[in-house]
Amino acid sequence: MYIQAWILCSIFIPAAAGLLFLVLPARKMREKKMSWAAVLALVLTVASVGMLLFSYSRGTKAQLTLFSLTEGLDISFRLDDLGAFFLGFIAFIWLLGGIFSVEYLNHEHHKRRFWGFYLLTLCALQGLSLAGNLVTMYLFFEMMTLVSMPLVLHTQTHEAVMAGLKYLFYSMCGAYMALFGVFVFYHFGKSMEFLPGGVMDSAVLAQNGTILHLGIFLMILGFGVKAGMFPMHAWLPTAHPVAPAPASAVLSAIIVKGGVLAVMRSVYYVAGAELLKGSWVQYAWLILALITIFLGSMLAFKEPVLKKRLAYSSVSQASYIMLGMAVLNPTALTGSLLHVLFHAFIKTALFLSAGAVIYQTGYTRVGQLRGIGKEMPVTIWCYTFVSLALIGIPPASGFISKWYLAEGLLESGVKTFSWLGPVVLLVSALLTAGYLLPVTIDGFLPGEDYNYQARKKREPSVKMVLPLIILAAGALIMGVFPGGLITFLGNITAAVV
Amino acid sequence: MKEIQLAIPVFYPMAGALITYLIGKKSREARNYLADFIVVSEFFMLLYGAVCLQGTESILEGVCGMGLHFTMDGFRGIYGVVAAFMWMMTIIFSREYFRHYRNRNRYYLFQLITLGATIGVFLSANLYTTFIFFEIMSFTSYVWVAQDERKESLRAAQTYLAVAVIGGMVLLMGLFMLYTSVGTLEVSELYEACRNYPDKRVLYISGSCLLVGFGAKAGAFPLHIWLPKAHPVAPAPASALLSGILTKAGVYGILIISCYMFYGDTKWGSMILALGVVTMFGGAVLAVFSIDLKRTLACSSMSQIGFILVGTGMQCMLAEENGLAVHGTFLHMMNHSLIKLVLFMVAGVVFMNTHQLNLNDIRGFGRKKPFLHLTFLMGALGIGGIPLWNGYISKTLLHESIVEYSGAPIFVFVEWIFLISGGLTVAYMLKLYLSIFWEKNTDAAKQVEFEGMKKSYIDKQSMFAIGASAVILPVLGMTPVKTMEKLAGISQGFMLMHEEPHIPRFFGMVCLKGGLISIGIGVLVYLFVIRTVFLRKKAGSASYYVDAWPKWLDLENLIYRPLFERILPFIGVFLCRIGDSLIDSIIVLLRKTLYKDCKIPHRTGSLPKLDAVIGTLLDKGAVYLKKREESVSYRWKLGRKALERRESRDMIRFSLSYGLQLAGIGMLFILVYLLL
Repeated sequence: MYIQAWILCSIFIPAAAGLLFLVLPARKMREKKMSWAAVLALVLTVASVGMLLFSYSRGTKAQLTLFSLTEGLDISFRLDDLGAFFLGFIAFIWLLGGIFSVEYLNHEHHKRRFWGFYLLTLCALQGLSLAGNLVTMYLFFEMMTLVSMPLVLHTQTHEAVMAGLKYLFYSMCGAYMALFGVFVFYHFGKSMEFLPGGVMDSAVLAQNGTILHLGIFLMILGFGVKAGMFPMHAWLPTAHPVAPAPASAVLSAIIVKGGVLAVMRSVYYVAGAELLKGSWVQYAWLILALITIFLGSMLAFKEPVLKKRLAYSSVSQASYIMLGMAVLNPTALTGSLLHVLFHAFIKTALFLSAGAVIYQTGYTRVGQLRGIGKEMPVTIWCYTFVSLALIGIPPASGFISKWYLAEGLLESGVKTFSWLGPVVLLVSALLTAGYLLPVTIDGFLPGEDYNYQARKKREPSVKMVLPLIILAAGALIMGVFPGGLITFLGNITAAVV
Repeated sequence: MKEIQLAIPVFYPMAGALITYLIGKKSREARNYLADFIVVSEFFMLLYGAVCLQGTESILEGVCGMGLHFTMDGFRGIYGVVAAFMWMMTIIFSREYFRHYRNRNRYYLFQLITLGATIGVFLSANLYTTFIFFEIMSFTSYVWVAQDERKESLRAAQTYLAVAVIGGMVLLMGLFMLYTSVGTLEVSELYEACRNYPDKRVLYISGSCLLVGFGAKAGAFPLHIWLPKAHPVAPAPASALLSGILTKAGVYGILIISCYMFYGDTKWGSMILALGVVTMFGGAVLAVFSIDLKRTLACSSMSQIGFILVGTGMQCMLAEENGLAVHGTFLHMMNHSLIKLVLFMVAGVVFMNTHQLNLNDIRGFGRKKPFLHLTFLMGALGIGGIPLWNGYISKTLLHESIVEYSGAPIFVFVEWIFLISGGLTVAYMLKLYLSIFWEKNTDAAKQVEFEGMKKSYIDKQSMFAIGASAVILPVLGMTPVKTMEKLAGISQGFMLMHEEPHIPRFFGMVCLKGGLISIGIGVLVYLFVIRTVFLRKKAGSASYYVDAWPKWLDLENLIYRPLFERILPFIGVFLCRIGDSLIDSIIVLLRKTLYKDCKIPHRTGSLPKLDAVIGTLLDKGAVYLKKREESVSYRWKLGRKALERRESRDMIRFSLSYGLQLAGIGMLFILVYLLL
């Protein structure tokens, strides 16, 4: 009954809080209190999301139309399983990132602005997950770009500003490409509502194949820009590393998933998997995803700056998800969704530990991190666990998603790609080991000439370590007990493919 | 409780490892006792399991996705017990060995986790479970190799990790393919599923992938590179386990593939046989050349794995009549584990006292140390295949299986390589034994020091560990039918052998002949190759061992490292950089050509002429009419207006051309669409 209220709360609490931060005069807020106020807003958001998901799980229908732009163009929210999945983990990780920021922001200026846009971006993502139709989703997608840009140029160095502009340029370019697709499907579709399996009539599909293919391809490319898909991925390794660590964490771990969600909605809930099956769009998509996977890993392998290395890694990992979606097979799609969740946990933890290292030591390059494990053992242990998870070493979580992805690829029987896909996945896993493990190895095994007397205990405070531990434990436990999750996601994928 | 009882010995040491680590931060003594307690109780737990829980299964539904499945049968039980036994002895020995080491807490932590993972591998009932614990084992044992953090240790550890990761990935690929094709990874169902699967090609590909993964860990050629590097640098107790049991985890996997996926498949059998022959012979030759105690033992391990692979290959080829090969393979696995345990611990004693492993430095160390002498001799006789010691029995069984299969020239060749490799084993063990225990060190002062360590070189606890392990070898060897054949009979079901085996007369002339030929070859090689070629005389009277193996002939440094460190990354990065900067360079190109920003004119002194003239006139008029000052200049105002006009004109032109181009491209698209 109150479910609509919970929908509104989970979108507008962060919005209101974010706006307050930006609008209220600066002298009204003391620095310390400000951070905790922001965390409080995050906790309230998580609580309302929790309430929303709780009532949803008991079978209440969650739908709400806010207003109509014109006839047939509603701004409406509707919660389904997929939305619930995204909504839950986004809010949770946002909260952890927020707790980490409380301490980390002591390093940065303009706290007020950071918190303001941090909260507004959460609002955009919540709206994106809750969107009930294409227009609403597009709206929040654009909003996500705009409100997350200030996070990128937060430090206001020349590099950051240029990166911010690049981010804006690529995102806008992508959004306009996608807009073309939105028009096409608005014209040909029965409605704009998201329906599992798509909204297209088979007759319409048969007659207008070419234009629909073009439309969906542009949507994949356009929304795929956010997910860092080749060839429009170049903004990602530029923009993510320049932001403050908690912001890079959520940019890389969550906002990338915003792109994934948008592609998922357009392909599986608007166009329908049938449209793409066996068409040139599917093959092009598969090729682009495979190229991105390899390219991201390879360049990460050669990258000396840790945060940039992690950003390249995101390029590669986000395309694991794209690959799984492009196969149009329920097993692979389950793998994709699992990887969405696991990668969110893992990448947040990786960026946060990189942030903790920067905060405590100021080191940014991998080569400087010799013996870091002796100084910050808990942080680097967390880093190690999530690294192993990302590589896909059992029993950590990444292994499970990779298993499903590869199984899906092999059983799909798509020509060539059914075996090439797993091979690329494994080569990329190998490179992942190559770019993540050196930090652990040099960190914990500094060599016999390491000066044990000169080491300092530099473990960061609980506010920074706690989110890391929670994320690392999550990445591990979800790998050991993935049963419930797989069933839940299996239901989603069974409905759409 | 019943459902998970087999999971307990797997997870108990892992949980124990964490507690040991935490306690170790407070007290070292308490930690050592706790570690001892854990391994001893683990050993008895497995002993109980092997005796009383035969045939039980434990399934942990849904854990790690597909669920973990453990089972207990003869082979698994015995190997579990062997593993736990080795861990028990090495942990007991570790206390003295590590007395002066740093980071011991870390060592114990990873030692115990690896124990759990290894037991997990040996008890696993499906390949999924095997893979999970296999990977855990690979990663945790990495830390052993790197334990002392010397440069060469770190390098060897890097190699070890790279081989493990690459092997693991290829193995995973094999599992993907196997699972999608035959639809099961349960070991007990694999035989039926693979026999009924029509497309043999897929099976061969997936089987080969699995073989690469398991073979890398087993140390089979050409992925043996980590073995001779990692063993010498790892602490001795860890080397014993690496070579004695971790390689066997790889063999366990190979046995599953060969016995269940390719039962009676001659093609597969010949491939394994060929690999086995190369590994067996190559390892033995490397060992003969080596002058480092632990490296020799490591190469010897490689060679013995070759013997085991030969047995595995023969199992496939002999199909239903593979009784000898099955027993030989299993017994040689077990014997090798037990023998290497003793030999590496003795090597550990040598290293603990001298901190040297080079034969020239440790020469004469064993003189006047009867305990060490005797235990080493047991190991050496065992591995050399001397009658009355256990190695002889298993080698004889393997030899008989080759003879039984065929008298074709190729098998005569295999037989002779087998005998020669056995001979080389005798030769290099003789070299180690004589140089350490009989010859005198070239440095007389050192020799005095060596002989002075009467009792101080080893403490009681370590003596127990080495002595207890060494006693087993002759006991097994002297009662082959009562002990060894019994054990083999219990475990043969795992390799799909069900009928009563035919036991050869081990001490009859037929069997002794093979052993004696090997021993003869060994003695000849020792006398005429090692003593003449590898033992050089210095100008004085003292002789010394030389490392005659050419430095450049090293598979790792010659091929693998350049390939994986330079060539492949270079090509990959080159291609990826192109892709990475594709869009960025297009943008730059467009901005330099089509979308060139117009130069916005700066305010220079030169004003447009007409405006300047009119402005000057107006200025003059103003001065004339109103007597105003020069400063309010119409000339300047007009000039600025003109510049602004020009600027906006440029901007309009710029954006107009941009818009027009876009519109043109759009129209082109529409045209193309209409035409199509």
